[in-house]
Amino acid sequence: MHKNTLISLKNISVEFDGEKILNGINLDINDKEFVTLLGPSGCGKTTTLRIIGGFIDPDQGDVFFDGVRLNGVPPYKRHINTVFQRYALFPHLNVYENIEFGLKINKKLPESERKALVKEMLALVNLKGFELRKVTQLSGGQQQRVAIARALVNHPRVLLLDEPLGALDLKLRKEMQIELKRIQQRLNITFIYVTHDQEEALTMSDRVIVMKDGNILQIGSPTDIYNEPVNAFVADFIGESNILDGIMHEDYLVEFAGKKLECVDFGFAKKEAVDVVIRPEDWKISASEQGQFSAIVDSIIFKGVHWEIIAKHDDLSFMIHTTQKYEVGTSIGMSVVPEDIHIMHKMPPEGDSKQEEEA
Amino acid sequence: MSKWLSRSYIGLVLTFLYAPIFVLILYSFNQSKSRGHWTGFSLRWYEKLFHNDAILNAFMTTLLVAVIASVIATVLGTAAAIGIHNMRKRSRTAIMNITYLPVINPEIVMGVSLMLLFVLMGIKFGLITLILAHITFNLPYVILSVMPKLRQMDHYLFEAAMDLGCTPLQAFMKVTLPEIMPGIVTGFLMAFTFSLDDFNISYFVSGDKFQTLPILIYSMTRKRVSPEINALSAIIFIVVLLVLILVNINDVRREKELRKKEDALR
Amino acid sequence: MKVKATASPYLLWMALFIIIPLGLVAYFSVTDRLGNFSLENYRASLAYSPVIFNSIWLAIIATVICLILAYPLAYNFSRKSANHQRTLILLIMLPMWMNFLLRTYAWMTLLENNGLINRFFGLFGLGPFEMINTSGAVVLGMVYNYLPFMILPLYSVMTKIDHSLIEAAQDLGCNSIQVLKNVIIPLSMPGVTTGVTMVFVPAVSTFVISRMLGGGSNMLIGDLIEMQFLGNAYNPNLGSALSMVLMVIILICMALTNMFEGVEEKEGMLL
Repeated sequence: MHKNTLISLKNISVEFDGEKILNGINLDINDKEFVTLLGPSGCGKTTTLRIIGGFIDPDQGDVFFDGVRLNGVPPYKRHINTVFQRYALFPHLNVYENIEFGLKINKKLPESERKALVKEMLALVNLKGFELRKVTQLSGGQQQRVAIARALVNHPRVLLLDEPLGALDLKLRKEMQIELKRIQQRLNITFIYVTHDQEEALTMSDRVIVMKDGNILQIGSPTDIYNEPVNAFVADFIGESNILDGIMHEDYLVEFAGKKLECVDFGFAKKEAVDVVIRPEDWKISASEQGQFSAIVDSIIFKGVHWEIIAKHDDLSFMIHTTQKYEVGTSIGMSVVPEDIHIMHKMPPEGDSKQEEEA
Repeated sequence: MSKWLSRSYIGLVLTFLYAPIFVLILYSFNQSKSRGHWTGFSLRWYEKLFHNDAILNAFMTTLLVAVIASVIATVLGTAAAIGIHNMRKRSRTAIMNITYLPVINPEIVMGVSLMLLFVLMGIKFGLITLILAHITFNLPYVILSVMPKLRQMDHYLFEAAMDLGCTPLQAFMKVTLPEIMPGIVTGFLMAFTFSLDDFNISYFVSGDKFQTLPILIYSMTRKRVSPEINALSAIIFIVVLLVLILVNINDVRREKELRKKEDALR
Repeated sequence: MKVKATASPYLLWMALFIIIPLGLVAYFSVTDRLGNFSLENYRASLAYSPVIFNSIWLAIIATVICLILAYPLAYNFSRKSANHQRTLILLIMLPMWMNFLLRTYAWMTLLENNGLINRFFGLFGLGPFEMINTSGAVVLGMVYNYLPFMILPLYSVMTKIDHSLIEAAQDLGCNSIQVLKNVIIPLSMPGVTTGVTMVFVPAVSTFVISRMLGGGSNMLIGDLIEMQFLGNAYNPNLGSALSMVLMVIILICMALTNMFEGVEEKEGMLL
């Protein structure tokens, strides 16, 4: 166990109606860390969060908080607070009363201290002057802030956030991402964040935990996960990717799309069938005859900061991001440097990444 | 422990609700006239019931009043709901407040007020007064079940139908009416059952000649001992039970089919 | 199509069969038999104030008992699986579909001096207890007949309470009792006021239950009114005045329950 470990999940399994939701996951979360559980819906991320919050008891395995076993401890006895998916603000209370709720329940704080704490929180989430508003009259973003303030006012050691930005529009979501990160750094506590949005995960987190079908696929920093995904699923889920079938002939030599190319990966079996992942922005475009591959531009769409090209090479389509415009039908050459060719073991059959991609 | 406690509590309340009815049904098979004394199994009260012209007549009157009153109330009420829905907010609120009045006002007051009206208008108590009174107390229930459907309806649907070439009347028949149909059916069924069941208002406007079933039951209970009531209760209970079970089975089956279809589409 | 005219037959109908009749009641209440203005009817009503207060008192007791019985039941129902909820609600509604005269008659059978309950006590050499023709029997009849009216609105409000609100309260430190006090009770207040009105109004105005289970000795205001219109005491003017009194009682009851709901909101606004 890491010396900084605050929460530790050991071999956690959960079943609902005979369906496995979590398959014996192990996870350590450090103190003062911003951790994101990332994965498609049904991957078990929310269940993991609810186990930490105390709303679900695992069928197997143990939860430790600061070294103390937490199984069976009800939510109201944990130093953990939650920002719920749809905020779960109390409709019969106004903004002030919502935030004050936990203080009134927990401690016998005098009114004046409670008031000071609530004011402090209102300032933290930029909601000064909204004390007397009904929560039902607030916009989504404001409700979100109240939910955060209501949880944080109790000074939890851990804040759980269950897809808190899901209901907000794009611009507001970006603002709140920055703000959440600011709040976390300012208060210096642990945030455990659940989302299916990879961009959100990469923007805010110290560490990202990628989950699928009740398993943890990869744990790492956002750059690790982006640059060194462990398999094609993670690669595809984290940003857009070209995923190609390849064969690893020997260390540092891979064949895909009919070409043998140098790469930086090693340690695969001889002639092992592998997934080759290349990020669309890693392709370099050149004149047709100068590239490693030649291809015809099939479509081109302007994406705001770059052009997205789909180019055809034989039967294969490649996605390329470039800052230059090419007419449809143009012949182009494409190249990739060895460092940007990512080789991965094929996923076991039940986790067929191609199907996941279409779903 | 708490599960056990909650279960036994539910059991206790259900016993409270059902025990009297079951006792009534049990004694409908009693040989003797006595309510507290079991002397042996017999179907004689059922036999007597089916040969009792007064009961059969009352039953027919009840059915007649209920059918006429609920049909008229459904037509009037649906038309009213559409009109009210199209009004501006202030007049709508005012009219809805009046609509709520008969729902909240005690039935006895409604009964005596209608009685006064009929006396002053010189209408003879009988079938007509019964039907008029029943339409009056049924109307709000029809309106209150149709209004929400109108509110839920996407108001662009009507415009879309006209855009596609419907006259307003066609648009209404082909789009609005099917959309609010569930509300109309609910309203009709509510009106019909309230009509069948009403005693408090009918009692004041029926006169001597036309007795509905509830009024007849009341006069039978005044006689203290009338075991035919037990038989009648048993029959009504069984009929209601069967209807509810059928409706429920139908609901569940429809839900299952829907789920299957959804699964198939997925 | 913004057709408003389709409402006119209804408006006419309501004017003729709701507004005018109520106007007649009001008119009759302030006139004597000859049609002259008189407050004599209200003065006469005063003489019946014990009956009026008895009606209010018994209706309040019945309403409170219904609330106490129904609240935990409705909460219980609302936390069960959808299938269970459907069955349980059906079981609660089924007796409502039987005519209330039959339901009340059933209790006559049970409570009589030689009825089933007294026979049961008799087995142990107890009783017979005087149960029928008491005010207790009247209250019992009210509770029995109107309990579903309390359960249903409470249940429908409670099923709408989002489960995440309960989790949020637990998350913020509430144990089950605190969840009940701080979240469920305040959020179920609309159901309470509806339920209270739906039980109190028919209970305070009934004349059948009191006559069937209370005998002659437990007259309620409903019995008084009925007697003025259909009984030997025939006096529609006095009956109208009593009807007005009954409506005022109900208005006060509703104002009180609404105020109770309003206070909760206002308190929230004051901070």
